[in-house]
Amino acid sequence: MAMAKGFPNDETRKATRSPGFWRETWLRYRRRPMSMLALAYVAAMAIVALSAPAIVGTKPIVCEYKGRLYFPAMGYFNPRWENPVFQRDRFRKRYPKNLLEKDPASWAIWPLVYQDPYRRVRKDEWPGQPANPIGADGKPSLHNLFGTDQQGIDVFAKMVHGTQTALLVGIFSMAIAASVGIVGGALAGYFGGWVDMAISRIIEVVLCIPALVLILALLAIVPKPTIWHIMAVIGFTRWTGIARLARAEFLKLKQTDFVVAARSLGAGQMRIIFKHILRNGLAPVLVPISFGIASAILIESGLSFLGFGPPPPSTSWGSVLYSGRSTIQVTWWLIFFPGTAIFLTVLAYNLIGEGLQEATDPRLRNDD
Amino acid sequence: MILVPRATSARITLSTFLSVLLALAVVGCRRTDPAPSSDVARSDGAEASKDEGKPKSENESGEIFERLEPFDPPPLDEIDATANWIDQPVAYGRDLLAERLKSHPPLVSEDKALSMKNDSEESNEQIYSVIRQLPKSDDQVDWDATYIHRLPGEANSLNPLMISSVVDFELLELTGLQLLSFDTDFTPFAPKWAIESWQTSEDHMMDKFVLRDDLTWSDGKPVTAHDVAFSFQTIMNPRVTIPAVRSSTQHLKWVEAYDDTTVVIFHKKAMGSWTENIQFPIIPKHIYKDSVDDDPTMENSDYHLRFLNKPVTCGPYKYVSRKRDQVIVVERRDEWWQQDGEKIRPKPYFRQIRCRILVDPNTVLLSLKKGDIESCRVTAEQWLTQTNGKDFYERNTKVRGLEWTEFHVVWNTDRPYFNDKRVRKAMALAFDHQEMLDTIFYGLTDPGRGPFHPDAWMASENPKAFERNLDAAEDLLAEAGWGDEDGDGVLDKRVDGKLVPFRFTLLSSETPTAIKICTLLKDNLSQIGIECDVKVTEWTALQDKALKHQFDAMIAGWGAGTDPATLDNIFKTGGGRNYGQFSNERVDELFELAQAEFDRGKRSEYYAELHDILWDEQPYMWLFYRPSLYGVSKQIRGLNFSPRDPFGVSPGIHGLWKPSGT
Repeated sequence: MAMAKGFPNDETRKATRSPGFWRETWLRYRRRPMSMLALAYVAAMAIVALSAPAIVGTKPIVCEYKGRLYFPAMGYFNPRWENPVFQRDRFRKRYPKNLLEKDPASWAIWPLVYQDPYRRVRKDEWPGQPANPIGADGKPSLHNLFGTDQQGIDVFAKMVHGTQTALLVGIFSMAIAASVGIVGGALAGYFGGWVDMAISRIIEVVLCIPALVLILALLAIVPKPTIWHIMAVIGFTRWTGIARLARAEFLKLKQTDFVVAARSLGAGQMRIIFKHILRNGLAPVLVPISFGIASAILIESGLSFLGFGPPPPSTSWGSVLYSGRSTIQVTWWLIFFPGTAIFLTVLAYNLIGEGLQEATDPRLRNDD
Repeated sequence: MILVPRATSARITLSTFLSVLLALAVVGCRRTDPAPSSDVARSDGAEASKDEGKPKSENESGEIFERLEPFDPPPLDEIDATANWIDQPVAYGRDLLAERLKSHPPLVSEDKALSMKNDSEESNEQIYSVIRQLPKSDDQVDWDATYIHRLPGEANSLNPLMISSVVDFELLELTGLQLLSFDTDFTPFAPKWAIESWQTSEDHMMDKFVLRDDLTWSDGKPVTAHDVAFSFQTIMNPRVTIPAVRSSTQHLKWVEAYDDTTVVIFHKKAMGSWTENIQFPIIPKHIYKDSVDDDPTMENSDYHLRFLNKPVTCGPYKYVSRKRDQVIVVERRDEWWQQDGEKIRPKPYFRQIRCRILVDPNTVLLSLKKGDIESCRVTAEQWLTQTNGKDFYERNTKVRGLEWTEFHVVWNTDRPYFNDKRVRKAMALAFDHQEMLDTIFYGLTDPGRGPFHPDAWMASENPKAFERNLDAAEDLLAEAGWGDEDGDGVLDKRVDGKLVPFRFTLLSSETPTAIKICTLLKDNLSQIGIECDVKVTEWTALQDKALKHQFDAMIAGWGAGTDPATLDNIFKTGGGRNYGQFSNERVDELFELAQAEFDRGKRSEYYAELHDILWDEQPYMWLFYRPSLYGVSKQIRGLNFSPRDPFGVSPGIHGLWKPSGT
């Protein structure tokens, strides 16, 4: 970069600026259709997760009741956000009929599908919609797109609302893992010596602990285990790979000219680590993060499948799988839909990781 | 989870286990660990410590129980002169069953029953009426048959004194001896194969047993009254670690053997449930008399190890081999039923019984379909979905019945939410019982109606199952002072000037059924502005919290004790297992009155009144009775349901047989 500036040559000055590292990565990534598809899939999942109550639910997205506007569907995110006026007026969480009875002038915008992830929808709750079938009768149908579980709870609703869990677990736990791993690896790689020694040993110790065992142990100790605890444990056990890669990058980059230059200009250590080296060494670290998200989703599903998932009544894909286990020979829909969702999501993250790897690693570039 | 009324007999403790294991099986859970045994010890400890002034003994495991005080029993003739003995029933369990079956003849022919599908109440009755029959004559029985039984977990120990789980109990039934057996309606009787006569003194302070002189241990030595007295002494020896049996025997004052066949049991006080306390397993004195002192664990020394996997037994079957976590094989003892070519007892129906240890319900059902086992409990889901096809009916059929084992939600009446009976009633009104029965049990069981099963002799007829009525529930809550003062949509109430929101934690065990019920309750309560957090808790932690009363509400269950008196430490003020700290003066009084009464008719009146009070007070929200759902091989006959399960009362497994020519 510095060299280009120094040339007093008109031609070079007029030439378009060569793309930076990230832009180039993006350009290369874009050339991989599968990876782009995976990215689109994840983006779609994120949209589904955020708008779950608007896609499927039993509470209106917006309604006007006695002259005021309310957003009861927000109650799916947090029960507190469901306005208490409905409780006071004895709605008892059943909106369609009560809205009309208690205020004939009211109107409401409803979710696309009238089903609930936490309970069975009964007869006549929604005009013309029969009660959800129970037992092994809940085959996929017009009213229950993905069928119902043995208790008559809609699987489609569970899956859509479970998307939140899946994405949250993946992204949040890897955010923890990435912060711990990058900082740990950076310090070890940059300072070397006893710092490196200590951090490397910690990495080795953590590597020895299987995440699953630790999670099971933790769930037994914590008085009120929530999905956040599970995410934290996954995060605090999955950072080792990231840390090792970051350390290697730092070991390499701290010897380079630009670091020496920065240091000679009097840049502080933190500035060198995070502003100069990290920016240049981030690419290889992104790859294990992406794979890590996939494996975190798998761990969560696995835990739920074993019955140790997020506490009831929260839904996750794994818990749908779990409920299908007891009637596996009949209720294929309880296995097929969540299984497919888990498979596709894990595949998508792996494809993204692979795409990133090939786009950032010059040795893997086969296009030029 | 399931707990069980005070373990006044090993049998109840075992039924706890049964319940635990099978309840888990009902829903496909993985647990089989025998944790409740430790609970038995602990809560009995808690109970014992109330009785101030009595000597206590604490052994290595920290268990506290009333220590045996030396007692010099009066001579036999003196006792005989003053006791005014009342004869008590002595019988063969199989004869009692045969007698009862006379009024339950097969409703259809065997071929028809075995070719039909169990898809209605009627077909169930028809199949059951055939499956439950005993042979009409000896020619019908295939005497060389082997039966493959399923055990839901590994035995804790084959030493009869160490029984603490349902598995141990089933094995004891096959191979061992206790002085009393219980019939289907929990009428106690002495097993005729070991006992000549059983008499109780008029004041119910003594029981005299005369043993038969032709019963031998599997090593050929005769079984004597001294074995009975020795077993009692060993059980009460504080150095020996006894997991469960002691909780009942600690109510006995002394057991004295007067000669080889006569043994008298002295009680500490006259109790209506005295037969519970006589229940203890018998071990051979000649094997253990010198070795117990050297090795009080009875399992560690080289000498004891020799008997650990093949104990010397006196029952109809003896241990042949054992593969840990896989199979325990027992064989018919020919010297048990005949001597010198002469038949002295009814011949056991099977030459060999293989007890296969299978935990996972899915594996269990697959094994049954393959013919690897010949009877098993199935889960409600399996009953509904996986036992209807040819693959199942090819070898097997299925039958169902109801047990007395009840499940409930315990309210901690010490908490501001549940100290008012109106609130507790409102809970029962708010809960959608019908939805639970339909979607979790698929109509295979009945709604809970109090601590006693409606069919039980002590039950009241008054309690009627609650029907959901949210308006009534809200009115009751309002009466009790619960409103929404701060307008946040959650009920609240001023307690000591502080606004307490109605937000409580409901503890659930890890079994899927329990979790499903809890989430249903949560959803139901949220409709009337009550927040309920469901917390799934591991079994031992749950036990611990229950004993320390550190919970708002929890879901639990009790297996049926052989006597309603066993409920006293559940509902009596300060009772060892009164987890919800319920207290009612009349209830306490009724327990005392019933305990001092020996006539069943009068006792049933007391217990019926108790039943009514409890139903009105709702210390528990009673949920349902556990259904007995069984898949059985078409070759098996003699399967009879009971308040516990087919193997929980006499004759249990000894009633099973296979017809010849199948």
